[in-house]
Amino acid sequence: MDYASMLTELLKGLLVSVEIFFLTLLFALPLGLLIAFGRMSKNCIVSNIFRVYISIMRGTPLMLQLLVCFFGPYYLFRIPLTDPYRFIAVIIAFSLNYAAYFAEIYRSGIQSIPVGQYEAAGVLGLTPLQTFFRIIFPQVAKRVIPPVTNEVITLVKDTSLAFSIAVMEMFTMAKQIASAHTTMIPFVAAGAFYYIFNFLVAFCMERLEKRLDYYR
Amino acid sequence: MSKELLKIRNFSKTFGDLTVLKDISFSVKEGEVVSIIGPSGSGKTTLLRCAALLENVEKVDLAYEDLAVCKNGVYAAKNVLKEAKNYFGFVFQNFNLFPHYSVRENVTLAPLLVQKRNKEEVEKEFFILLEKMGLSGKENAYPCELSGGQQQRVAIARALATKPRILFFDEPTSALDPELTQEILKVIRDLAEEKMTMVIVTHEITFARNVSDRIIFMADGYIVEEGRAAQLVDHPQNERTKEFLAFISREN
Ligand SMILES: Nc1ncnc2c1ncn2[C@@H]1O[C@H](COP(=O)(O)OP(=O)(O)OP(=O)(O)O)[C@@H](O)[C@H]1O
Ligand SMILES: [Mg+2]
Repeated sequence: MDYASMLTELLKGLLVSVEIFFLTLLFALPLGLLIAFGRMSKNCIVSNIFRVYISIMRGTPLMLQLLVCFFGPYYLFRIPLTDPYRFIAVIIAFSLNYAAYFAEIYRSGIQSIPVGQYEAAGVLGLTPLQTFFRIIFPQVAKRVIPPVTNEVITLVKDTSLAFSIAVMEMFTMAKQIASAHTTMIPFVAAGAFYYIFNFLVAFCMERLEKRLDYYR
Repeated sequence: MSKELLKIRNFSKTFGDLTVLKDISFSVKEGEVVSIIGPSGSGKTTLLRCAALLENVEKVDLAYEDLAVCKNGVYAAKNVLKEAKNYFGFVFQNFNLFPHYSVRENVTLAPLLVQKRNKEEVEKEFFILLEKMGLSGKENAYPCELSGGQQQRVAIARALATKPRILFFDEPTSALDPELTQEILKVIRDLAEEKMTMVIVTHEITFARNVSDRIIFMADGYIVEEGRAAQLVDHPQNERTKEFLAFISREN
């Protein structure tokens, strides 16, 4: 196998990894906010449900959650496994898992905003919804960028876990090519791709952080 | 006789076992400047916060002019409370400006978003307010770029922008250096001259004596003494008032 076709295969895999990455963020970032609200609910039944959810998501391996997501429907309900469902299962498992991490980040961000901000908005007559979206959330967003960046970088590397249910992402590809041709090169190349991917992610997050640097 | 803008009767407030306000009644007339003084922990802030609906009360009759906000501890409907919020502005001890908004956005947010007023008109008034506060040219600055005194003046502008009938100040100068204190006191003095109705919690006794029509002295959750400003400061009747004023003048 020549390098060019090896690279093409790897790049195809990379595309799948990128897809997993963006779809996970697309669902997990907003879902995390909802979970954070649930976790902060004044109703202690609701808040405990979300507390348990977060604790399970953070306390068990993502790979296990992935397998449960993929095989669960078949083992539990005998729903036949289809090929497209592999990818869907990855997105579901990743989104549910990462949303739990994001939720805790949001929660600490929201709780770090001084009550004075709510009070100032309140006496001006802003509704709770306006207060949250106009006053609180923009400040939370700025504060949570560093911890969110950490999670996002971990996510880039975690996309490789999809190999456990044979989704054709980059790591799965690299492993296949490597064992078929007994060569280390695909691993080295995949490693370089992951690194570049993360480098770009870190760069973008840093830009975003700088853009919000206009206030303290 | 001018009308009563704020009426509070039989006002009690407890935090857990601690009774902070005990059966307080007072009212503020249109155009009147009332200062509230008293030792730390006497309930001044709590009184102001309850009037500004920042704190729930168990038992009170609270009304803004003809708008009954709370009757014997039962609050009126949401829309009434919302209307009541148009009646007053609140200036906090530590400003509580919105750090992510510029001066302009801080001040025009409520008129545009809450009162849904015409944008041009709001902008025009904004620049007039800014000049009045001595902040011309600062419209695009962010709070972190301003001094404490400037921040507090922005906060006053923000409170005034909704055209409140009555303005509450909770120790507006105690987070500031002495020099900066003076610039805020001047702004308040100017407002008093324009007959703005104000209730001011302050430790600046001389200022309170000069600027207010009436002073209320609070201790341990009671109104111990109240009267015309000069009268109360120069010739206090109650022993506690005398003690407190003597203590304050020793401090200075
Ligand atoms: N949220 C709260 N929970 C419990 N106790 C409170 C709360 N807010 C105030 N208190 C108590 O109520 C009492 C009155 O407080 P308040 O802040 O009204 O006093 P103050 O007269 O404004 O004092 P200062 O001059 O120090 O500002 C204090 O004993 C305080 O500890
Ligand atoms: Mg106080």
